[in-house]
Amino acid sequence: MRFALAMAWRETRAGWRHVVTVLACVALGVAALVGVGSISVELQRTLAREAKTLLGGDVEVRAMRAVPAAVSEAVARLGEAGAAIASTRELVGMVRGADGGSLLVEVKAVDGAYPLYGRVETRPAAPLRELLSGDGVVVEESLLHRLGITPGDAIALGAARVVVRGVLVSEPDRPASLVSLGPRVLIGPRSLEQSGLAALGSRVRQRVLLRLPATTRPADARAALAAAIDDPSIRISAYDDAQPGLKRFLDQLGTYLGLVGLVSLLVGGVGVAASVATYMRRRRPTIAVLKCLGADTRTLLLTYVAQTELIGLLGSALGAGLGIALLPALVAVTRGVVPFALEGRADPGTIVRGLAMGGAMTLLCALWPLLRVREVRPAEVLRQEVAPRARGRAPWLAALPIALGLAGLAIAQAGTWKIGAIFVGAALAALVLLAALGRGVVALARRLPRRGALAWRQGVSGLLRPGGQVPGVIVALGVGVMLLVAVALLEASLGAQLDHERRRETPSFFFIDVQADQRAPFERLVRERAGVTPTLTPVVRARLAAVGDEPVTRALVDARRAARGGQQPSFLIREYALTTASVPPEGNTVTVGRWWTEADARRRPLVSLEEEMARALWVDVGGTVAFDVQGVRVEAEVTSLRHVDWQSFSTNFFAILSPGALDGAPTTWVATARVPPAVETELQDAVVRAFPNVTAVPVRDVLERVNGLLAQMAFAIRAIAGFSIGAGLVVMVAALTATRAQRLYESVILRTLGATRGVVARAFAVEYACLGVVAGVGGTALAVALAWIVMRFLLEAPWRLPPLTLLAGVLTATVLSVAVGFLTTWRLLGQKPLPVLRRE
Amino acid sequence: MIHVRDVVMRLSSGGRAVTVLDGVSLDVARGECVAVTGPSGSGKSTLLGLLAGLDTPSAGHVVVDGVDLGRLGEDALARFRRDRVGFVFQSYHLIPTLTAVENVAVPLELAGARDARTRAAALLAEVGLGARGHHYPVQLSGGEQQRVALARAVSREPGLLLADEPTGNLDSATGAAIIDLLLRLNRERGSTLVLVTHDPALAAQADRQVALRDGRVVAAAPSPV
Repeated sequence: MRFALAMAWRETRAGWRHVVTVLACVALGVAALVGVGSISVELQRTLAREAKTLLGGDVEVRAMRAVPAAVSEAVARLGEAGAAIASTRELVGMVRGADGGSLLVEVKAVDGAYPLYGRVETRPAAPLRELLSGDGVVVEESLLHRLGITPGDAIALGAARVVVRGVLVSEPDRPASLVSLGPRVLIGPRSLEQSGLAALGSRVRQRVLLRLPATTRPADARAALAAAIDDPSIRISAYDDAQPGLKRFLDQLGTYLGLVGLVSLLVGGVGVAASVATYMRRRRPTIAVLKCLGADTRTLLLTYVAQTELIGLLGSALGAGLGIALLPALVAVTRGVVPFALEGRADPGTIVRGLAMGGAMTLLCALWPLLRVREVRPAEVLRQEVAPRARGRAPWLAALPIALGLAGLAIAQAGTWKIGAIFVGAALAALVLLAALGRGVVALARRLPRRGALAWRQGVSGLLRPGGQVPGVIVALGVGVMLLVAVALLEASLGAQLDHERRRETPSFFFIDVQADQRAPFERLVRERAGVTPTLTPVVRARLAAVGDEPVTRALVDARRAARGGQQPSFLIREYALTTASVPPEGNTVTVGRWWTEADARRRPLVSLEEEMARALWVDVGGTVAFDVQGVRVEAEVTSLRHVDWQSFSTNFFAILSPGALDGAPTTWVATARVPPAVETELQDAVVRAFPNVTAVPVRDVLERVNGLLAQMAFAIRAIAGFSIGAGLVVMVAALTATRAQRLYESVILRTLGATRGVVARAFAVEYACLGVVAGVGGTALAVALAWIVMRFLLEAPWRLPPLTLLAGVLTATVLSVAVGFLTTWRLLGQKPLPVLRRE
Repeated sequence: MIHVRDVVMRLSSGGRAVTVLDGVSLDVARGECVAVTGPSGSGKSTLLGLLAGLDTPSAGHVVVDGVDLGRLGEDALARFRRDRVGFVFQSYHLIPTLTAVENVAVPLELAGARDARTRAAALLAEVGLGARGHHYPVQLSGGEQQRVALARAVSREPGLLLADEPTGNLDSATGAAIIDLLLRLNRERGSTLVLVTHDPALAAQADRQVALRDGRVVAAAPSPV
């Protein structure tokens, strides 16, 4: 044991190239685990810690319409039991400045008790109640800039005239929203009444928030409220089960971050295995001498395992340090993507885990090549050409626990069996495919007739170099290219979805809440100002009352939610915008059943459902659905299912009823208009001035915001994927360095025989380019598969395959391979032949 | 000390079976110094390797110091070499990553000796390299490297010292010095020495010569002293 440790240290001391490579491979993997893992842990912790603040209370009751009496009574009972109660109403509306400029805003009316948890920060710092008293409002700073006003100025909100009393700095229950339609305007309840924006038919989100006394458990309060409120469209959440959307998003983000760590670690593992394999090949004479001097296999195995593990642990420690050092950068990168501010604190548990993972990965990846110690025969000191002993009697006996260990590591890091298993399967497939490609290239090079220029022949035969690591280089480079191209493909697909510039029919505006008596003057105004006629579509707000014979009750919703693993059955409880139509709207195709005729429509109410909605509701053509249209029940037979092009940015509907089915229901109109960009602002201002209740949603503006968010996300994804790509590069450098001695010898022999340095350089270039092209093609093919799976199954978005991205993938790999190859070998070209030959 | 009986060694070379040793029998008494001579390819080094248990013969027996090497496993053979055999090679085979003193200390350390380093330093001094213990093999000349290898071979005071063309890579003056050193160390420690060489002058200094040709013993004669 003492000898093994001493020897391990001496070997480490001398083999710095190997040491640096293994260190770098392990360090990059562990840095990713620790850095990215710490961010992930902090996200989860923040969500757990801030849950009450984010929800706004211990329990929240949320409705998309006036809160019914039953709700008020149930809440009041809890109030009597000591609960504090606050209520808010949120909606989208328009404000106008003194000079007529208008702006889409998110309005939130709050009462005196708000907020129950956390603090509303304002400038000047003053109690919110004071700032909102009378006609006071508090607005986000961006509103001041957009309208060119300062605090103290008056603005118009719907029919009300209000005065900006302060700037809103932060709002506890509005996590830095990923996409908001406009700046926030906080107002008092009286101002909202005066504005007239909360009129019937407007989309107002009502929230009642409760802070419970210590004696009442949130779950009990939730249950009590649920028992009293049967309408399932009224959502009741306790803080610990609230924010399912945010939780899901963070879970997905956590999974992504975990996978990046895992990929980096695995790529690093490939590097460790490759480096150890090369190293052991070079140590073979030493091992033979040591065996000759009386070292047994156990001692030698112990020596090299100790050495590798020493480097692995050192690399893990370095990696952990690097990960911690990179935390501020990671926080900056993810700032736009996560909904709250992160401090970038290193998590001790994650660090320990990273160190353990790094150590275990090093051991597992190095063990297979290390076991070659057993094959070295002491007689090799006498004759180099001694036939190496075959692998142990059953090589799989050793390979199996190694493979199982690595799979276990992957599953432990992935967090769930499912993701872990998918990852292991995918990684295995990628590794096998790339390694097979590598072997294929070697086989092809062997068959290729040796014709053409010397550099070409020499380069191709370079692929056949013994211990040339062609599969290793191709795996490492291929994995890097795969990640790079996959991210690019995902961006291209997502970007194409939002590329509104190419969509000629995209409207410039949606105008929401045009009232019946405003239709004619509104049309006239748009025609006068913009020279186009807007398209007006009637909209009736409703909720689902029954599917077939089954009434939509809270019990049904709870049962469906349980069946879906806690995910909201959103189609059952969402607020629907209904319309009527005599022909299918543009961008809609009937996929099942048939559209109604006038005669059909006269007989009874009919409805056409969007495919996905029908699937979620388990309803088909011939079934019935019933809607509750603000107290009136409308039952309709499903006669067709439609596929809707949601990307078309026209007014699309989940449910369209036959003409006449909604007669008499309170109706508002949504208008779309495509106007020249030059008159957009003017038109918006004019509409808002003439119809204060109408909300104008500037599509270009919103799309730009979404695009900005996507760009931020893409940047974050790319930056984080950088870990894995970096690991791939290190592995490639390592693999190329591995053949350094042989290359040196070859170049010297060639030059001794009269080849110029140019010829030798060209021969190397041919070899590197071959490696790059093959790795590029393999990596790009894998990227296409990966991106397709992600788009198809995870993002459920349309698939696009830009040929330029694919070409860029192959080119990148080739250029990278040639560049890295030359960086690692150019110095060989300058070496004088004689000393090298003498050394041999 | 050594009993070699009807040893046959076949190796495959380029897919062809080559008989390197073809029924060799040989006895060496304790303390004797034997030179094995013969042209290259006659099987000298292979025979030496078999005596050290570096390889197993295809047929026949090798018994060293009462131990039938054919009955030992790989690790038992390693321990046998560690405890009873010293080896000197034509190309020295120092471990390039270790300093001179560390190279000499390896067999001592393998045996678990506590004072390995001190003893290694003393041995280096004995071969005249006391001041060069911290040098790496590449920093030493051929003759110096071979002296380090000698010190390493005798460090455990083995009963059997095997030398494979110990002067083959050295100029004649250095070679002669190495041989003097080898014979002196051997005499002082009273160990058995088997020396492979094709240098007649060197072979003449042994107690006895065994000539090999095409894997067979063609002549065994005491050296004319």
